[in-house]
Amino acid sequence: MNPTNPEGSHVAVRDGMILGVGALKDLIGWGEYELDESFADHVIVPGFVEAHAHVMAGGMMLLPYVGFFDRRRADGSIAKGVKSYAELQEILRTEEAKLEDPEEPLVANGFDPIYFPDQPRLSRHDLDRVSSTRPIYVHHASGHLATVNSAMLDVSGVTNNTTIEGIGKDHHGELDGELREPAAMASCKIGYRVVQLNNAKEQALWDFGSLACQAGITTCTDLAGSAILAPRVLDMWLRVTSDERFPMRVVQYNIPAMPGAQAAFDEVAEQFVVLRQQETDKLRFPGVKFILDGSIQGFSALINPPSYYKGEDHGQLLTVPDQFADWLRPFHRAGLNVHMHCNGNKTQDLAIDTVEKIVREDPWLDHRHTITHAQLTTQSQLRRMARIGLCANFFANHIWYWGDQHYDITVGPERANGLEPCASALREGVPFSIHSDAGVTPLGSLHTMWCAVNRLTPSGRVLGETEKISAYEALRSVTISAAYQMHMDDEIGSLEPGKRADFAILEEDPLGVDPMTIRDIGVWGTVLGGVKYPAPR
Amino acid sequence: MIAFTVIGGYLGAGKTTLVNHLLRHNQESRLALLINDFGDINIDGDLIESEDDNQINLTNGCVCCTLSDGFFAAIEQLQALEPLPDHIVVEASGVADVAQLSQYGNMPGLALNGVVILADAETVQNKAKDKYVAQTVQRQLAAADLLILNKVDLISAERRSALELWLASISDAQIICADRAQVPVEIVLGVYARSLRPSGHGHERYATWSATTGPITSAQAQAFAQALDAIDLLRAKGLIPLSEGGVLELHKVGKRLSTQVHPDQYRDQGDVVAIDLDQKLVVNVLDEVASEYLRP
Repeated sequence: MNPTNPEGSHVAVRDGMILGVGALKDLIGWGEYELDESFADHVIVPGFVEAHAHVMAGGMMLLPYVGFFDRRRADGSIAKGVKSYAELQEILRTEEAKLEDPEEPLVANGFDPIYFPDQPRLSRHDLDRVSSTRPIYVHHASGHLATVNSAMLDVSGVTNNTTIEGIGKDHHGELDGELREPAAMASCKIGYRVVQLNNAKEQALWDFGSLACQAGITTCTDLAGSAILAPRVLDMWLRVTSDERFPMRVVQYNIPAMPGAQAAFDEVAEQFVVLRQQETDKLRFPGVKFILDGSIQGFSALINPPSYYKGEDHGQLLTVPDQFADWLRPFHRAGLNVHMHCNGNKTQDLAIDTVEKIVREDPWLDHRHTITHAQLTTQSQLRRMARIGLCANFFANHIWYWGDQHYDITVGPERANGLEPCASALREGVPFSIHSDAGVTPLGSLHTMWCAVNRLTPSGRVLGETEKISAYEALRSVTISAAYQMHMDDEIGSLEPGKRADFAILEEDPLGVDPMTIRDIGVWGTVLGGVKYPAPR
Repeated sequence: MIAFTVIGGYLGAGKTTLVNHLLRHNQESRLALLINDFGDINIDGDLIESEDDNQINLTNGCVCCTLSDGFFAAIEQLQALEPLPDHIVVEASGVADVAQLSQYGNMPGLALNGVVILADAETVQNKAKDKYVAQTVQRQLAAADLLILNKVDLISAERRSALELWLASISDAQIICADRAQVPVEIVLGVYARSLRPSGHGHERYATWSATTGPITSAQAQAFAQALDAIDLLRAKGLIPLSEGGVLELHKVGKRLSTQVHPDQYRDQGDVVAIDLDQKLVVNVLDEVASEYLRP
């Protein structure tokens, strides 16, 4: 990713720093050396930089997994996806048998009814077959639903007379065990609490680090992580990331207030500036994140006319438009980088308008503020973004995971073809990265690259042939361009003299293989600051 | 059971003013206020008993909590208090989906009392057409049980009538007018007193109606509740002893009526109180319904 020296057979490293890349004869002038040939049959690329993930999503990994797709575990083994209710019950029975306290709820994660269209909806009766006495709570992949058994409803005091919207009932008016949206889910609080608290466990960080290593990721952006300003939380992050066994750098972008809520942002900005004094080589705090809306597949993103294709518009604003400039300004003035979650292009207009306004007031030209997700970015928005220095961070994985739903239901064929417009961003001069939003979709930079290069959906459609980018551009967008958005491109993201020796060690060359196989390339592990971290397997 | 009320409305509608007003004038119940930021709340220093990062305890038994750890955590924190608060009042953010938020009020242990939405008389109509917030504002107005048209002192009488008509076209909530969000605490939180202490709040005059009753059958009590439901009222509250044992509690906030039977409670005398604008209170209809079902 260094245009003046795009490749070489060797890389020279000293004290965690790259001295140079090239032929051995060009590097030996640095003095005495030890030649390590363990990666002679591998391909070394810059360590991947995941541009948008939630490190605490590792917490969900601690729960028994009942999702549809096979998934990697932190230990490198594969958790098999469940393809039938019988398989789901089998896993739950096994997990149930491991619990000693009869009152402890069994909480599992990752179920997705979208993959069982021919089955009756999963109900409490299906879960009652696992246990009639132990409370069971199955958290769905979407995060918006849960299915519980009768014992869970009983112990929670939820009855046929409970009137919370979102508590599922069958056509006889009997509880069916499905809980939709937080108020209903929280009614079974002993289950919901586990899902919430699991996010806060230290083990979650370690597991996420292990998954990153398996994916070749050496730096991960944690967008909207935990309350880092709380001393107890900060201590945990410092302790874990400083441990030499912890295999990645974390770049924290906290949300400065609950979504939609106001705070004394002047003071918060000062606190973040002070916080930066505690930065280490492996933990950074370059900025903050604001969340402006919901999601497209949840119909809660704010989309400009003609709005949604099918389905009702539930656009949910999570910021107060009239105040947004006042919220952003203190961070901009303090030199803090701001990432703004916009799934819909209406909130993206708000983000662009607002940044334009504050840049006129305070001309920090190199702000690199970034619109993250930016899924429905229009051509005119790209032109404006290029002029005012805004970056885009596209949710390329959506093309694979929800591309067909976007084509058929949410935004319709034409706008679905324009999702995550990487080629247009390149043409218009908007710096961009691509991301997984893990745990929303699985961590894996090669898979994310594959999405941007091939734009394929599970049904076999190509979404927007003209928005495909080359493997080279895709590799840039998961390395140097992601680093650029966090003002870290002088330090990571390419193999250049003076930069950190962070590598992804691959079995094959992502720029050489058939583009359709990029996601299948094996990952040996990573090198972080010159230290090898083999992926657990 | 803890009563649960959501206060919403877009930026500048007067939510914080109303919350401060409730804190100052509430005297009859232990309020737990859930707010976004302590910075907005005016509490006299000598009213504060103790405080930490996300909870302030007041000498009058009220508590204020912030939502810094999220909604679920805050509700759990309040449900663990001893003694329990009587009433949780949530100050929603200016863009909150109040309909969804109000559903927490149906959780076991809580009783949804109502959704109170404030509207800024000067700006609400423009905001309901705004590129970014139109949907949010319209949805909030539609979700209201009780709509407070605030800052009416800043608009003309004609404008006020036009606004009331317009509001009625997008919301079937009861509408009351106010300036500086000065409305009786009883209206916002439910009727706790037999008669209103201050009358003539700002722009409105309020009146109350009440009746007493001895034990009646639960069928009769339910029939009474339904009859009351059909009457246009701002607020009503009742505790009705049942001849089968137990007490039926009823609440009415605008269009929302909720009833609940407490089988383990006992009383030989109960009462029903209703409140509305002075010129709207239909005393004769209420008297008629009471004489049909209640047993004084």
